[in-house]
Amino acid sequence: MPEIHRREFLKLVGASAGAAATVGCSDPVSKLIPYVIQPEVIVPGIANYYASTCQECSAACGLLVKTREGRPIKLEGNPEHPINQGALCARGQASIGRSYHPDRYKTPMKRVGDKLEPTTWDDAIAILSGEIKRAGNRTWMLGGQTGPTASAWIDKWVEAVGAGGRVVYEPFAPEALREATQALFGVASEPVFDLSGSDLIIDFGSDFLESGPSPTEHARQFAEARDIAKRERGGARFVYIGPRLSMTASNADEWVAAKPGSEGLLALALLKVAIGAGGGTQAGRDGVAAPLAKIDIAAVAKQADVPLATIERIGKALGAAKSPVLLPPGVALASRRAAATARAVMLANWALGAVGKGVSIPAPRDGKLPSYHQTLALVDAMKQGSVGVLLVHGSNPVYSLPPSTGFSEALAKVPFVVSLASMPDESSERANLVLPDHTPLESWGDAEPRPGIRSLVQPTLRPIYDTRALVDTLLDVARAMGADVAAKVPTDSFRALVEQAWAGTDFHAALAKGGVFAAQPGVEVTLVGSAVDFEMAEPALEGDGDFTLLTSPGALLYDGRGANLAWLQETPDPVTKITWVSFAEISPRAAEKLGGLVFGDVVEVETKAGKLSLPVVVRGGVRDDVIAIAIGQGHTVGLWSSGTDSGHPGEARGVNVIDVLPALTDESGGRAWLLTKAKVTNTGRHEKLPICQDSQNQRGRRLGLAVPLAELAAGDAHVEAEHGAADAVPGAGESAPGYPAHGEAAHGEAHGSHEMIKAFDASMDRAPDSPYRWGMTIDSDKCTGCSACVVACYIENNISIVGEEQVRRGRHMAWLRIERWVGDGNLEGGQDRLPIFPDAESSSTVDIRIAPMLCQQCGAAPCEAVCPVIATYHADDGLNGMIYNRCIGTRYCANNCPYKVRKYNWFDFALERWPDPMYLMANPDVTVRGQGVMEKCTFCVQRVASARQIAKNENRVIRDGEVTTACAQSCPTHAIQFGNLVDKTSAVAKAGSEPVRGYHSLEELNTRPAVTLLAKVQRGTVEG
Amino acid sequence: MPTLLGVFTTPAGVVQAVTHLKGRGFTNLDVYSPAPFDEIEEAVDPKPSKVRIFTLVGGLLGVVTGYAMTIWMSLDWPIVIGGKPFASIPPYTVIAFELTILFGGIFTLIGLLVVGRLPSLKVGPGYSARFSAEEFGLVVEVPERDVAEVDGLLRASQATEVSLVAA
Amino acid sequence: MTPPPGESIAAMIRQTPVPPDSQTNRDVMNIFMTTPGLGWLLLVGICLGGLGGGAAVWIYQIYKGLGIAGYSHPIFWGAYIVTFVFWVGIAHAGTLISAILFLFRARWRNAINRSAEAMTIFAVFTAQLFLGIHVGRIWKAYFILPYPNQRALWVNFKSPLLWDTFAISTYTLTSLIFFYVGLLPDLAIARDRTTGWRKALYGSLALGWQGTSRQWKSHNRTVLHLSGLATPLVLSVHSVVSWDFAMAIVPGWHATIFAPYFVAGAIFSGFAMVLTVMIPVRRIFSLEHILTNYHFENMCRFLLLTSTIVTYAYFIEYFIAWYSGVEAEKTAFYLRLFGPYWLSTWIMIVCNGVIPQLFWFKKLRTHIPTVFVISTLINVGMWFERYVIIITGLSREFNPAVWGHYTPTWYELMIVAGSFSFFSILFLIFLKLFPVIPISEVKELVIHERAHASGQPAGAH
Repeated sequence: MPEIHRREFLKLVGASAGAAATVGCSDPVSKLIPYVIQPEVIVPGIANYYASTCQECSAACGLLVKTREGRPIKLEGNPEHPINQGALCARGQASIGRSYHPDRYKTPMKRVGDKLEPTTWDDAIAILSGEIKRAGNRTWMLGGQTGPTASAWIDKWVEAVGAGGRVVYEPFAPEALREATQALFGVASEPVFDLSGSDLIIDFGSDFLESGPSPTEHARQFAEARDIAKRERGGARFVYIGPRLSMTASNADEWVAAKPGSEGLLALALLKVAIGAGGGTQAGRDGVAAPLAKIDIAAVAKQADVPLATIERIGKALGAAKSPVLLPPGVALASRRAAATARAVMLANWALGAVGKGVSIPAPRDGKLPSYHQTLALVDAMKQGSVGVLLVHGSNPVYSLPPSTGFSEALAKVPFVVSLASMPDESSERANLVLPDHTPLESWGDAEPRPGIRSLVQPTLRPIYDTRALVDTLLDVARAMGADVAAKVPTDSFRALVEQAWAGTDFHAALAKGGVFAAQPGVEVTLVGSAVDFEMAEPALEGDGDFTLLTSPGALLYDGRGANLAWLQETPDPVTKITWVSFAEISPRAAEKLGGLVFGDVVEVETKAGKLSLPVVVRGGVRDDVIAIAIGQGHTVGLWSSGTDSGHPGEARGVNVIDVLPALTDESGGRAWLLTKAKVTNTGRHEKLPICQDSQNQRGRRLGLAVPLAELAAGDAHVEAEHGAADAVPGAGESAPGYPAHGEAAHGEAHGSHEMIKAFDASMDRAPDSPYRWGMTIDSDKCTGCSACVVACYIENNISIVGEEQVRRGRHMAWLRIERWVGDGNLEGGQDRLPIFPDAESSSTVDIRIAPMLCQQCGAAPCEAVCPVIATYHADDGLNGMIYNRCIGTRYCANNCPYKVRKYNWFDFALERWPDPMYLMANPDVTVRGQGVMEKCTFCVQRVASARQIAKNENRVIRDGEVTTACAQSCPTHAIQFGNLVDKTSAVAKAGSEPVRGYHSLEELNTRPAVTLLAKVQRGTVEG
Repeated sequence: MPTLLGVFTTPAGVVQAVTHLKGRGFTNLDVYSPAPFDEIEEAVDPKPSKVRIFTLVGGLLGVVTGYAMTIWMSLDWPIVIGGKPFASIPPYTVIAFELTILFGGIFTLIGLLVVGRLPSLKVGPGYSARFSAEEFGLVVEVPERDVAEVDGLLRASQATEVSLVAA
Repeated sequence: MTPPPGESIAAMIRQTPVPPDSQTNRDVMNIFMTTPGLGWLLLVGICLGGLGGGAAVWIYQIYKGLGIAGYSHPIFWGAYIVTFVFWVGIAHAGTLISAILFLFRARWRNAINRSAEAMTIFAVFTAQLFLGIHVGRIWKAYFILPYPNQRALWVNFKSPLLWDTFAISTYTLTSLIFFYVGLLPDLAIARDRTTGWRKALYGSLALGWQGTSRQWKSHNRTVLHLSGLATPLVLSVHSVVSWDFAMAIVPGWHATIFAPYFVAGAIFSGFAMVLTVMIPVRRIFSLEHILTNYHFENMCRFLLLTSTIVTYAYFIEYFIAWYSGVEAEKTAFYLRLFGPYWLSTWIMIVCNGVIPQLFWFKKLRTHIPTVFVISTLINVGMWFERYVIIITGLSREFNPAVWGHYTPTWYELMIVAGSFSFFSILFLIFLKLFPVIPISEVKELVIHERAHASGQPAGAH
């Protein structure tokens, strides 16, 4: 029971007043027991931060693990880490949940009959070593990518135990890209893209802001490249080429909805125009003359279904660009000709002189790399029964390999399957023996995302259960197999191994810092002779049907590894705002063709490989001939990943689109995803989906504003005019923090109410003697909608997960949500109960406004006035306080909040949705809310409070930047600024005083918000 | 002293009798009537009822309490709410108004009980159920020597019957 | 009289014979003195069922949480508040009839005011239940009272909900007092004609009332003053309730017309409810000669008047929404008519605005079955009026990202049904325990008539 667990925390924290304030009087009072022997590093109530490395994807961002009394309670980015520089994406934030996941294997398990039963390590090791002895070289290892140290050692181990070999398998591996680089420059490594210096970014569907090679890093660079304050003429332009308006594409200036598969041709066509317009280096022009000669732009325009004019225009712009960067397709558009496509794009990069500037080719990495064709080869071997023992680690092939590979059957042919997963998944459930691995927070390890950037993983949590690190397990096996075997892999433990590997460095300094960061520059490359002679043709698609099946990586679930993290399931999809379920995106025209489908109608999607049925989302952001389904759902095992959470154990949650993909590769043998056509038929069924934004049409209400670049230049005059208007208002004495930019005509409505707006100074809304008025500035021109802040908020504030059914009933608890608006909107929609996706989304000029919405901490808060019991009030430092214990649940405040940021505990969510041992990760500084109380954002008041304590001890005021909220801390683009509005020199005050872009959400209501939004900048389509 | 009871069927008769009796100086009299009749009450006691004072006091007490309570409680622990002044009169007027009515009502009830001498346990002389039917009863104390006269006087003003209910 | 020689005057004391009881007494007493019939018991049984169901759901809801109701973000208020406002509305007829019509000396009120007052009290009780049912933490609900506590925590007198608390409790107490004071003489009548437990009950409640002119005098004065107090109270209570909405900034709530609009609506629904209840009562207990068509017709006139006021308010709401030029308001009202809740809206408009217009025709005004049907329809319409105001307002607010939807769950409907049972049970018991017609007031009229019609023998009419 969380109540009790929270009290345990309080014991440790030694809270007295705090406890009294946060605990209802009815609760029993229990003793506070101090440490008998005070651990040196642990001061009760004070957090310790340890540097480590995120293991969620290959980007390997640096972590600061915030621990309290020996327990990690939150993951934050490591500011000193060169990759993420302090930010951390949603997936990284949520990954803390792995350690406290209720599903975890608590001991080794062995199969007895048809189910797994607990056993001891000795027993398990004995069994395994025996099996390996018997199987000898018929022993194989199949697993995800591990850190360099572990990887190298495991190869040694495979040799030592005389196993057949090891295959590294990652569902999303940039094999085609590596192949292309090899072919072009003779260097087999995936290129590194740096967008920060670029002035024109053309993305051929890599979705670099969500599922690319290094999303957090790229988001930061993207924001730098487009920083209105620093870059002249609005900074970099961004063109997105791809069939679906993804989260990344929503940040583009222009969307070219090209036919999927035509990217390579488009790249060459654009290059041809660019060079024709005098772009590119001399070497480049000469180098690519031959292949470009074969390119007929008009024909490409036809094939790609893109207006010729568009290609001409963008091509010219490309030619004129000083430092363009072209990003090759990612997973979604990895066709059967992925290698050629990547080659075409990289060739363009090289010809335009991007290679060496925005694009660098690192030295090839040593050690085993993921390989899909090796994986398929292993599957064949398994089918032929030539695999005796299969060790599976760090991956879930049963889920992520297409059934058409026959992996499942092949696995049945393997006499002894060992899983080293730490949590049950489709693969581990098939194992004969499960040797649970530590979670990354419990384990040692290292990573080397780039040559020279070496990042350490250190344990920050004593293993909660009887688990062992992969390497230690294998080590024990080796020992059990005999001294001679053990001698071939000489080390005492994984920790010792890591220390050996880092021998050259000051290990403790590295631990403190998070690693050794000496990035090596990319290697000098020149075009190899044979580089340019390749055929760039459109890829063939399997099967028939009117639709091309587009399978994009889940923006939050990635390849499905995020599915068992409740936070990622409950955080709305950045584009459609749907949670927990699978859905297919089709265009309104397509929906019309299929008999007038609407949001939630269930369709059947059939390919050669199989069929599945799922509800549709009808939105303009998809090509008419494409049906887009995200990868990641459809698990049948796991508390939150499967139907278990909704009371259907063993049933799939949503659908796994991989099930209907053929097992085909690209030319390089890498895994291809854009493979097949699909027949789509209407089943006539309808489902209500758990969606969190009922309308992306803001009806011209001042929620998400945008300002054309031109108007920004002519800003000051414009502001003067506005001030005139403001002063005309009676009582508009104080200095106005800036007035909203005019969007287009559509919100003439809002303009009508302009004279109702009173100018005000938010910093005045505090107690006269208070040195603080906390405020926030959110720059919607920088916000990409990645949702890192949302997850950060969930974990910082112990926000309850409510689950699919409750979200469906509109009871999502997030304190911070990211609203996505399509343009200024119009007055259409709302007659029925269906969510609204404006058709305007299909426009090639992207006008998506992303406005994070959280409690505005109003100076004249409508919620406060109506609470009968003063459960919410205006604190001295200007915060809109919320006293949970005083709340009796009339819910009047929530009715009266125009922003609708107050969330109500309809059930005892804290009790029902925090199964053991999840309570261990609860933030002891934040009350866990009980049934029947209202809750909301208070600018992480607990963080403010601790900062104030420190300042008080040194009797000074809190310095700017000394305290920040969880959301601001996690933001890769620094779109969110938090600070003290009284201090006019503070970052937040400066940012908030942006003359033209600054505005307040719904300000005609005169609620005097402390949150200032900065309007999105409309850079318009790219011009040559 | 003997008490005579005259029974009437119309208020008019009662009024007539009462005025005559009072004229003759028999002031120690009372009337049982099945329903309220202003003329009778006028005749018996022309002075306005004291209940009004109770209502007035109650009302005044209410309005004072209303404002005092709200303002004091807001200032006892001043908390900023919705950017409004600590003690803001307009909303508090609603509370004051309600309390005015409440106290006024309660005091009026008390007034009824006090002035109307309720609750009373003793049954009045000559009271019977007929007076909660449709007849009127006039009881008057008269010295023994005047019994005959009063008897006549009652009958003269259409008393349906006259009887001696106490000696 | 002269005493016979040799005897003392005391010897002349003798019991005077008690004449036959009055017609009015007997008529009224018959209603509540006769032992309950099968129909009555059956009705009570049914209501007990409904009440039990509602109570069970409520207990479950306290245990499990308000999530079992159809709420969502942003629709934080639902059927409970709707029904609360509905009952508060019903509660307005009684005091209005007793107080305002008393001040206007509308004699015809006498026949109906007792039952109307009873209805008032029961309706307020029922309404208050919903305050408890609605809050999320009823075990902490006492926080809403300004009781002294060592934490020096007071309440927020700026909140309309607190005004509500004061208004409703004031209304309950004042109505109770009014009801009791009016009942006092009739209790005495009952006391004089009963035996056993009833005598004990009425006797103790009657406080020894004997109808002396002193008692009547203060009684009259009391009734006058209570009427004086109750009249503004009646108008204030529903104004305050309306401010729960009008004081909020929710589009569709934030309107200055709400106070008069709600008061008119309340009187409208109250009178409708009186008719819906009294028509069967009159039929069953055959009170046609006391509760004449004349009374009913007058009430129908009232319904016609208030219906027109309410309809006017509906119209003005739309006009202002358009005139304000605020898009959120316009949208809210447009979608009220043509949005997801169009059906509720049209039910409300037809039942409250169109159908009552039939009362322009005397034929229909005086045709009791028609009156019964229409008054019932008005009750339905008025429930939906509150449903429309609350739900459509919340479902289409300022931020389209959080537009939401609401459908009452079975749990909620059971509680609503339970509240009707609760009300009915109270009224059924009242019928069997107290004079449903104010005897003494009716008698006043009877005697007056008789006095004017000269030369008639006493007690006959």
